[in-house]
Amino acid sequence: MHILKKENNYTITVGIECHIQLKTKTKLFAAVSNDARNAEPNTLISHICLGMPGALPVLNEEAIHLAAKAAFALGTVPQKNSKFDRKHYFYPDLPKGYQITQFDQPIILGGHVKIASNGVAKNINITRAHLEEDAGKSTHPAGQDYSLVDLNRAGTPLLEIVSEPEIHSSAEAKAYAKELYLLMRYADVSDANLFYGNMRFDVNVSVSKTNKLGIRSETKNLNSFKSVEKAVDYEAKRQIDLLEKGDKVLQETRGWDDAKQKTFSQRSKEDSHDYRYFPDPDIPPVELSDKYIKNIQKDLPTMPEEWRKILNSLELNDSQIDTLLISEVDSDIKYLKNINKHLNDKPMAKFLADWYINITIPQVNDNNFVLENSLHHSLELEIYRLIKSNKLSSTNAKALYTEITRGTKLPASIEDYARTKGYIQVSDEKVISEIVKNVLAQNPKAATDVAGGEIKAIGYLVGQIMAQSKGQADPALAQKLIKKQLHIE
Amino acid sequence: MAKITKEDVLRLARLSRLHLTDEEVSKYKVEIEAMLGYVEQLKSVDLGDLEPTSQVTGLKNVMRQDTEKSYGASPEQLLKNSTSIVEGQIKVRRMLQ
Repeated sequence: MHILKKENNYTITVGIECHIQLKTKTKLFAAVSNDARNAEPNTLISHICLGMPGALPVLNEEAIHLAAKAAFALGTVPQKNSKFDRKHYFYPDLPKGYQITQFDQPIILGGHVKIASNGVAKNINITRAHLEEDAGKSTHPAGQDYSLVDLNRAGTPLLEIVSEPEIHSSAEAKAYAKELYLLMRYADVSDANLFYGNMRFDVNVSVSKTNKLGIRSETKNLNSFKSVEKAVDYEAKRQIDLLEKGDKVLQETRGWDDAKQKTFSQRSKEDSHDYRYFPDPDIPPVELSDKYIKNIQKDLPTMPEEWRKILNSLELNDSQIDTLLISEVDSDIKYLKNINKHLNDKPMAKFLADWYINITIPQVNDNNFVLENSLHHSLELEIYRLIKSNKLSSTNAKALYTEITRGTKLPASIEDYARTKGYIQVSDEKVISEIVKNVLAQNPKAATDVAGGEIKAIGYLVGQIMAQSKGQADPALAQKLIKKQLHIE
Repeated sequence: MAKITKEDVLRLARLSRLHLTDEEVSKYKVEIEAMLGYVEQLKSVDLGDLEPTSQVTGLKNVMRQDTEKSYGASPEQLLKNSTSIVEGQIKVRRMLQ
């Protein structure tokens, strides 16, 4: 309670910088493969990546194309004129001694990300987003007096997206990170695979009791939505505790220890702030034509915001919609496209959405889904038909679906297959009538109760009928027949 | 003329991760001052109302297609320029403790 009250007197302010690896085939300035995931160290390198004297970097047109696309995803248009600059600092994973980045004329200025946190919608404005090359990767073997450098990643194109400090809670920070992920995935500019570090977040956190912003810390290289949330929580509490004790918050760079769930102080950067930027003479400026910009806008895929409107019309709640939006890009199954195909038949579209949320997605997440992409949609349509014609109960439908999707083949006739497996309901009145008669005779007490108005007991009788029919009776029909035979209604 | 202090030299050395002896600091102080002084002569040129520029070639949109190509030198050849390679990686002085 005590801590909560203290926090309420402070305003937490967060700005987020996000580095996203663009999905080009080659690096930003060298025609060398950009896919370092399974490559041996230092196999994807050239004289350009190593910064050798005389090497001439040449800009990858696809990186410009993807960055321009990202501008639209962020609700703005790409800048017609942008240029590249050198940012100097000396570090072993940066062979040239400078990074090629964009300083005063980035490709994106402005834009916003719409987030919803605790049901409240809010726009987080984007300050800028610029293109830059990634550095190499260094490792520090335990017990040794040296570090090792792998330059496969050096020169990979990154888009650094900088938000305004308009985020005011850890929940908002997480929502922002997640939405940014969706935007970049739907615009198809990045694989945004967090596991491979395709998307990394730096969070700038400060706390203040007044309108003036407090001194901020920067926690770098967070690689999950959860760690973004936790780091903001941790930093806010740490800074409030310091101020309450009468201490000062240091402006510093911090790292995140995921095992300990703590931030920790990293090397002081007081000197390295002097980056001595200047325009890179090797890279002539970029000028986008109106036609180029218009074509990119025209080709932009359906974005999350539009999907939300479509899914809202199917009466799904926000968390269900998010499940579909995230699953669409996290697996190969095209949930949204399948739903979209049937929008003219609302009940069917709604059935598919519910089915995906409740059955398919959990199954895929548990790695229990084998059936090929091109096959499962016809299975879903057939199941819908069988349920609608009362041939399949929802329980049996799930069992049937789970069974078939765990294999690689689709039966020639799904209905025949379901029948041989005993999933098809018996809707033949004569057959069920006979079973109802038997069950009523065997359970005279329950029958009397139901007849006497204790309608709840009917569930027990239906259960008995289901058991005797080995689950094949249509329960609705069974209930109707019990009432009929007991002369109720 | 630009005045360079001993602190300026030490700061530049820190930014470049260089260790300088006292003699070197004094030597570079004089040399850097002379270099900056030489470049400063440009300030005396009358530019009228000429706009600042960072490009003199007039080139723009110099780009390449997003396809791999061989530049001739293999990674093995390129790595020969490093003083020490451990398991395919470049060995450097330890950065983090």
